[in-house]
Order: sequence, then C-alpha cells, then structure tokens
Amino acid sequence: MNPKLERILPRVQKPARYTGGEYREIQKDKAEVDTRFAFCFPDTYEIGMSNLGMRILYGVINEMDGVWCERCFAPWGDMEEELRRAELPLFALESGDPIRDFDLVAFSLGYEMAYTNVLNMLDLAGIPLYAAQRDEDWPIVCAGGTCAYHAEPLADFIDLFFLGEGEELDPEVIECYRACKKQGKSKTEFLEEAVKIPGVYVPAFYQVAYNEDGTLRSMTPTHGAPARVTKRIIKDLDSAYYPTHTIVPSTEIVHDRVMLELFRGCIRGCRFCQAGYCYRPVRAKTSETLVRQGIEACIDSGYQEMTLTSLSSSDYRPLTCLLDGLLDYCEPRNINISLPSLRADGFSMGIMQRLQKARKSSMTFAPEAGTQRLRDAINKNVTEDDLLQSCRTVFQGGCSAVKLYFMLGLPTETDEDVEGIAALADKVFQSWRTYTPNRSKGVRITISTSFFVPKPFTPFQWEKQISMEEYRRRVNLLRSCIHNRSIVYNWHDGDASYVEAALARGDRRMSRVLEEVWRSGGRLDSWSEYFDFQRWMDAFQKAGLDPDFYACRERPRCELLPWSVSDVGVRQDYLWQEREQAYRGVITPDCRVKCMGCGATRLIPGEKCDADRG
Amino acid sequence: MAGHKNRLRFRKEGRGVYISHLDSMALFQRAFLRAGIAIWQTRGFNQHSFVSIPLPLSVGYSSQCELLEFTLESDTPLNEVPAQLNATLPEGIVVERCYEAETPVKRIAAIDWSVQLEYDGGTPEGVRPALEDFFARESCVIQKPSKKSKKGYTELDLIPMVYQWDAAEEENGVNLHLRLMAQNPGLNPAVLVGALFDGRPELTPDFVRCHRNEIYGADGGIFR
Repeated sequence: MNPKLERILPRVQKPARYTGGEYREIQKDKAEVDTRFAFCFPDTYEIGMSNLGMRILYGVINEMDGVWCERCFAPWGDMEEELRRAELPLFALESGDPIRDFDLVAFSLGYEMAYTNVLNMLDLAGIPLYAAQRDEDWPIVCAGGTCAYHAEPLADFIDLFFLGEGEELDPEVIECYRACKKQGKSKTEFLEEAVKIPGVYVPAFYQVAYNEDGTLRSMTPTHGAPARVTKRIIKDLDSAYYPTHTIVPSTEIVHDRVMLELFRGCIRGCRFCQAGYCYRPVRAKTSETLVRQGIEACIDSGYQEMTLTSLSSSDYRPLTCLLDGLLDYCEPRNINISLPSLRADGFSMGIMQRLQKARKSSMTFAPEAGTQRLRDAINKNVTEDDLLQSCRTVFQGGCSAVKLYFMLGLPTETDEDVEGIAALADKVFQSWRTYTPNRSKGVRITISTSFFVPKPFTPFQWEKQISMEEYRRRVNLLRSCIHNRSIVYNWHDGDASYVEAALARGDRRMSRVLEEVWRSGGRLDSWSEYFDFQRWMDAFQKAGLDPDFYACRERPRCELLPWSVSDVGVRQDYLWQEREQAYRGVITPDCRVKCMGCGATRLIPGEKCDADRG
Repeated sequence: MAGHKNRLRFRKEGRGVYISHLDSMALFQRAFLRAGIAIWQTRGFNQHSFVSIPLPLSVGYSSQCELLEFTLESDTPLNEVPAQLNATLPEGIVVERCYEAETPVKRIAAIDWSVQLEYDGGTPEGVRPALEDFFARESCVIQKPSKKSKKGYTELDLIPMVYQWDAAEEENGVNLHLRLMAQNPGLNPAVLVGALFDGRPELTPDFVRCHRNEIYGADGGIFR
C-alpha cells in the first residue's frame, strides 16, 4: 500500500471504503493487461457498491482478456481533504494506481446531483476537466447510466457517452479503443471510429447553435456522427451476464444483499417516471434462470438476504413460481427475501405476507397523488380502494406504521389535490381504527412529499416545474389540513429539486455552471450536509444563465430539446400524446392490456415486447 | 445462549487492517456460509450465524493473534476449517488454527504489542529518556471519555496496566515492545503513546503503527 495512504487512512471515517481488497475483487497481472479501465462511481463507496449495473459491467469488462476494470468512488469530505493535503491523486481500489494513468475513465451517471462529483473526481485524479484540454496523453473520459441520455450539462467534460445498457456496448468501445491504440491513432481518430458504434454519443462532434431567446436552434453532427444515437439494449436477458460471483464488501453498504433483477422496463407508464419510459422495452428473465442465479449468488456471497429488484416487481408474470423456487432454497437456510416496489393491490399483499415470517411493523405505499383525478392524470393506476384494502390487510396483521409517499407540483395539480393527500391519510387512519387488533398501541401514519421534477423522456418533459414559492405554499396548505396527531408530515425543502430540475433539462452551456459550482466548493451535492443552494444560484448568475429558463419554463412542442439526439426507443410523439391524455385526465392501460405502440419495440426487431416466457 | 465451543486464531494484516470490529464479525458470518461450514445460529425472528470476537482491535492495527468464537455444527474436522475458510476470505484475513476452546475468554489477561513510533526526520534524542521517565512513574492518571459516567469521562491510571516494556531504536523510529492489560479495562497502545509524549510535541511521532503479537492468560502462559 502507498505509504502516504497508509498515513491517511487511520484519520478518516470508514477507511475500508478506500482500500479495496474485498472478497471477489478482481486482481490481474499488469504484464498481461494492455488496457486499463477505471469504473468511476460519482458517489460514495456505500452507494456505488449497491448499484447492480456497476457490478454487472465490472464483471463483463473483466471477462475481457488483457483488460482490467477497476473501481473508483467519490471520497467523502474528510478523505478528499487528506488526499489533497498529501497530494495523492485519486486511485483505483484494485491496484492503488492513479486513474489518470488509465486508458479509459468511465463514470456511471445515475442522478443529476452527482455531476459535481464527476468534476471533483477528475480534478482529484489530476485529469483536466474539459475534454478539449485532454490530448492523447490523457485517458478517454466516458460516461454511461440513466443520465447519459440527457447529460448535456456534462457535454464539455466528457469525450464519449454510452447510451443504454452497457453489457455489449462497453466491450465494443473498449475493443475499438484497443485497436486504435495499437495502430497509434489520435484521440480524434479513435472518437471518429467509436462514433460508428451504435449507442455511442460523442458530444464534441455536434455543433450547437442557439436562438436569440436562448432555446436550441440546431445540433449539427460532424465527423460522421449520426443525427440520432439510439440506445443499446440486451435482447435476451437470460443469456446476459449476471454477477453470481461478485464482490462482497468488507464494510456495510446501503444494499448489502443479493440483488436479483427480474426484468427491465415497466408496463405501467406512470407519466412522471423517467425509468418507466427509458428502460423499455420490457424484457424479463425466466424464473428458472432467476432461481438458479439467485441460489448461486447466495452460495457465493454468503449473504442471508436477497432482494428482487425491478421497477414494479409484482408485474413479473411468474412471480409465484419464482418465489416457490427461491423459498425452497432460502427458507431452510434462513435467507430472507425482500420485494420492494410492490403495488398496493391484493395480489401483492398476499405475496408480502408469504415472505414475512416476522410481522412487519411498518409498510410503505406510494400513491403519488391525493385524488383519483390527479392519479389518473399521472397514470398512477392505484385506486383508493386498492390502497385502503392493502392498509386493511396490514393493519389486521398488527402493523402500526404506514408511510405514504406523494409528489407536490405535478402537472394539473390543484389545491383540491393537495388537500386530498390529507383526506387520504385520514381514511388510512380510519382503516387502522376499524381493523387493528390492538388500538392501545396507537398508529403512526407518515406522509412524505417531494417536489416534482419534470424529466426528459417522459410525457412531462415539456412541463414547467412550479416555482419554489408555489411549492412552499402547497406544503403549507397540506400542513394546515392535517389535524390528527397520529399523522406526521415530512416534506423536502424544494431547493435541491429546483437545481435538479434545471440540470435534468439543461443544455451544454450549463457546463460553466457546473464548473463554477465545483470551483466554489460544490461536491457531494446529493448529500444535504454538502448541498448549498446559494452556491448554485451564484454559479448560474456568474455563468449568465437563468435557472428558471431550464426548470420553470414550459416548452412548446416544436422546441428542439437538448436531449433530442438521444433515442431511447419511445417516440417523442407518443410522449406528447401521453401528455395530452394527462391533461384530459385519461388513463392509458398498461402494456399487457393493450400495446399503445410507444415505439420501444423498434429496439427488438422481430421480437415481442414483454414476451410471456413463463 | 449456548456456550461457544470453538475458536479460530487468525491474522489481520495488509488491507485487512481497515476492516472494523463489527464488519469483521459480519465478514466471518458470511465466510462460514461461503465455505459451507454450518455454525450455530441465533434463534428468533432474525436468525443469523453467531460469531464473537472477544478482543476488539482498533481500525488500522494489524495482528497475528486475533480470536473468534463460534460453535461448529457441521462435521467438518477442525483442522480443515482454516483452509476452507481461507479460500473464501478477503485479502489480509488469514485463519491459522481452529480448535476447541478450553479456557474461557475472561481469563485473558495481557496482550503483547509491537508499537512502532515513526519519525520521518529521524528519531529525536529525547525519546529514550522520556520513555524511561514515563515508565518509572508511580502513576499516570488520564481522563478517558465515557458515556456512562456523569462527568463524561472516567479516570484511568495507565502505569499499573503496563506489565512490560522495552524499546529498540531503529533507523527512522523506535520499536516499542509492550505487554499491556487486555481487558476490563484494556489499554489501547495509542492511548499510552498519547500520554507518553503529552506536552512534548517535539517527541510526538509522525506515525504510530500498532501490531498485536500475542495474547496471554492469567496464568502467564500464551492464551489459546
């Protein structure tokens, strides 16, 4: 170990997150490696190691001969200070080598508030921030993940974006890099080659022009780049790589358990949900594959907990069959299975109770909106009856705490909808009074509201976010409607959501804002102890940009959107149609009831979206 | 709770020294499962494999004599347990022996430490005399933070907790060999070093490296 690092580690919190050396970490002989790949996660070790996508790609890339994929995470503030004081450049956990000496440095972008960490990590690594400042002597800096579809605010810093699922795409780009390196090609020549690979977006190859009102006029491809970049997907998840032999961290992480992914995509089409549209088409694994992979992963890791992940787990067709298969193995071995993202319906409650050996003292539901009208408008197909029926079941089982999640500021929301949240909580309380076997224990109903952020690739991508003043007024309105001491209300202050809204739909001029925020100390912005609203507002001002222009402006249909180069499958006119349905308050049936032709099937020619594979 | 019949002796070194006490226990719980070695599980709603590390080791310290207690339930021969576990352990955690526990942990009396005081600019002259003066003292009472005490701290005399000491000067530091009280209360060598050079910043080392060499029982013999 580096002697400087050895001196630092005893002084920082949780040093095990900076050392690597965990079980199943991959070590390679540098003499047999020609390409070094730094997989950077722009948040802490505990968050990054909880990400299944990172584990998949770590495994996939390390299966390549001659390529070594290593991990790198954002240091917490105390560690950053020590690294800077010791002049120790950011290093990869596996080898301890500085990532600035790697061939490729790739970031996984899961949420906008991590963007400042990307800049900070580049700087800590000693890598110039701007793509244009990096010649052949520097690593190629890439980024993938959900935000890569609309990461224009990072466009000036990143050489190459991976759009979509990386299992096939990342190795193709790495092979392309190796071939170019062998032939002694320049960075530009490599990028010109790489941009021919479907799913690769090279932002420097697009000339951007703006109208006088600040909106985009054009994004013109150059260097042979395509006018639109279509995301990549894995057609057959059954034969896709799944990390049954994956790193078991030596320190506790957020999701410290086996993660089993049932399917990608979602049949529901909630109109606010970016993941619901971006991850289409719906592709499931068979239950046989999942049972096998789940058991293997338990055996290999020694975890006694498994979670079934997907956007809406109860929509997995063979769920009962899958659970039977897993429980046969897990029950006698005391391995707990948890199923998040369940819908509040009777079927799900039945499943829930089956999994629960111990009585659950708390349940969480996400009705998202307070009235049926608004739930219809956002296409959240949960009825009040579903919710109350589910509450009845859990209260009868002795549960004494229910959490309800809502959003404030959804398009078409009125005061009546806000008041409806309190009314719904009251009904949940009445349900508890009626059905609990033990009233003396009391109940705690928690309402949490977040501030709605319109996201690209959703029917609400043209919407304005309501102003922070209006958001606060609605929070206060809701507060004034709650009179029951058993009902507790938690709300976010809207600052971070406003910044997130600006970043989510920002164009590449926003690079200057990011740089300014970072230069004035911004990092770890998804952590409330680090986020500083004023710093962001000052940075917008210095960059000569108005955050309202990005967050609080309704876009006309004809406006060229900064993420229009990315094609996620779902068509823009489908999204517009869904938006109109929202304003009409008309629900769209889920994909199983009727295929609405969203466009995502174009990505799997000759195959069926959401195919029933038993 | 059942009495724990078996004991592991393991080393903690290299990158493994940064794994905390609680994380070390979780790590072994999983390692037993990975190795397919059944051990006694707790009962109740949240059943889990039970292991116990009786002498917590501070994060960053290395050791060649860590103990872990558990109860073997599968019929794996004891002498095969180390190899099976080592195949599933992370870097720096190495099991050396597995055996039946005979002496209870409460009989542990002393721990032998190697404590390297590193001075980047060479060892200052006054270190040796300072050590001799310190260990010749009748007492050295320090205040130790305590959650239980109303005052927020308890007083602790370090001198009676030091059983043996010895120092060897090396190129860039001093290698202290200490035998310290192990438990109820134990004396952490970092606390001792802090007291040693209290008020003598010129003698304060740039880095202190602590390594556990051996554990001794109340009878003075090596504790197994």
